Amino acid sequence: MRPGEPLLDVAWIADHLDDIAFRLGQHVLIAVIAVAVGLAISMALALWARRAPWLRGPVTGIAGVLYTIPSLALFAALLPFTGLTLLTAEIPLVLYTLLILFRNIMAGFDGVPADVAEAADGMGYRSAERLLQIELPLAVPLIIAGVRLASVSTIGLVMIVSLLGKNLGGLGVFITEGIQTFFATKVYVGAALSVALAIAIDLLLVWLERRATPWSRARAARAVAAD
Amino acid sequence: MTLVGRPGIAATVAFDRVTKRYPGTARDHPGAVEDLSLEVPAGRICVLVGPSGCGKTTSLKMVNRLIEPTSGRILIDGADAAARDVTELRRSIGYVIQQVGLFPHQTIGENVATVPRLLGWAVARRRERSEELLALVGLDPATYRDRYPAQLSGGERQRVGVARALAADPPVMLMDEPFGAVDPIVRERLQNEFLRLQADLAKTILFVTHDIDEAIKIGDLVAVMQVGGHLAQFGTPDEILANPASDFVARFVGADRGLKRLALSRIESLELRPAVTAMVGDDAAAARARILADPFEFLLLLDADNRPLGWIGERDVPEDGLLEPAMASPTSPQLDRRTTLKDALAMLIDAEVQVGIVVDRKGALRGLVTVDMITAWAHASTDRAGPVVIS
Repeated sequence: MRPGEPLLDVAWIADHLDDIAFRLGQHVLIAVIAVAVGLAISMALALWARRAPWLRGPVTGIAGVLYTIPSLALFAALLPFTGLTLLTAEIPLVLYTLLILFRNIMAGFDGVPADVAEAADGMGYRSAERLLQIELPLAVPLIIAGVRLASVSTIGLVMIVSLLGKNLGGLGVFITEGIQTFFATKVYVGAALSVALAIAIDLLLVWLERRATPWSRARAARAVAAD
Repeated sequence: MTLVGRPGIAATVAFDRVTKRYPGTARDHPGAVEDLSLEVPAGRICVLVGPSGCGKTTSLKMVNRLIEPTSGRILIDGADAAARDVTELRRSIGYVIQQVGLFPHQTIGENVATVPRLLGWAVARRRERSEELLALVGLDPATYRDRYPAQLSGGERQRVGVARALAADPPVMLMDEPFGAVDPIVRERLQNEFLRLQADLAKTILFVTHDIDEAIKIGDLVAVMQVGGHLAQFGTPDEILANPASDFVARFVGADRGLKRLALSRIESLELRPAVTAMVGDDAAAARARILADPFEFLLLLDADNRPLGWIGERDVPEDGLLEPAMASPTSPQLDRRTTLKDALAMLIDAEVQVGIVVDRKGALRGLVTVDMITAWAHASTDRAGPVVIS
């Protein structure tokens, strides 16, 4: 930071609203793609593991190992193969979501009470009907909990992508550039917006969960009904 | 009313040499069933009862093929269940389990309409049907329709479970300890409601319980099973209580089986003993002569409508004059023809008397019942009925 410069250069912000909006949009897009693809892959793996329970250990193990790879190292390792493309950004981001999402989806299926599953079978639900109409709706709270965790961590990780190059870094670009040019305003704008974005996405998902599971609030407001 | 209360939609269910073995295990593996044959006539309740591991639940689940038999056939109205499409079979059989298994994410109305939804009924018809059924099991549709299962008590959830099983008017119902998870008072009430319902619906019902008292109360027929999946005895509750086929059955039904039998029979099954009677205003001397001539020592005084007023000891009947109500002492309990023998015995013991007065609905005398008559009935009919084995 240059001496005598104000902490927040409001004029710069006003001049660069377009740029800020673009980076914010880019950040959201990269994160949403990563979580959506991660959710699709995790769901497919979870459905497979539901039919073949032996898969559960290996899938959790591999996803756990992937999760431990330092992100910057993984981005850098992909550069020779995929170049400075969206793919380079998305592959690691997707891989990092798998552990959280797979485990939460499996926990969601585990949470379907045995008597509910038995009643469904006994009344003649076909396997796919049972999955779509009973098990998935009941797993929604845990699945969304997983999506919330994955979203927040992905929004943080997108910042790192900015170290690879300007074109993909989202809000992280402001921070990288701000540090390089000793311009505090850029750093603050990037940091503040990414925090705000994480909180906003989290609240959105909480709202979505409440909309999707009116029945789970009924439990909290349980009436003491007499027989 | 559309479908509810339409009796006669029931099917026979027959087990034909059904065996279930679990691979690599001994024959008396818990849940195994060995060569089970029995037939439940349409519209009857058959209770499968026995200790845990006797195979009663396995037998039940083989009917809707949640468990497939190792060998043997299960025939529903003569048709082999194994030959039917399993999904279609299950949708045509009502299923109620102990933990109810209501879908927590669906409202009560949606839960009840489950099978109609699977069968593709239109929304309006589904809604109408589910409201009709909620009312049938004693839950106000307007109050309960939009609630979630978590907002209901155990007894209410159990009622919803029964309504859900009845939704598509299945000819056969399977009930696996349906009243096992509620407290005794609620259980008693649910049992009574269930019997009242069944009196109208007349479904063929297979009912599993480990509670012999429930089996006797609920069942038209009772199948007592023992570990290893053997059918120890199959018959009416009275036959099983009167003539247990083996030591196992005798022990299982309990040392008080005589008393339990008394609860199954009513005064009307006894030949009542006539009383020596006289009416208010009758000549005392004539009455005195009659009672002194009878071995029984008490004269029963009646009013003008034949209603008993009370007893007069033979020595207390005046030697002349007319009989008056004040002479009688009302000590015997009054019973009617529908009183069970067990209740009758209890009332006689409570009143510390040997004789009860049986009256009709208007209170007029029908005859007398004595403690000796009840015990003699219990002894006599024990030898009468033999065990029934249907193969």
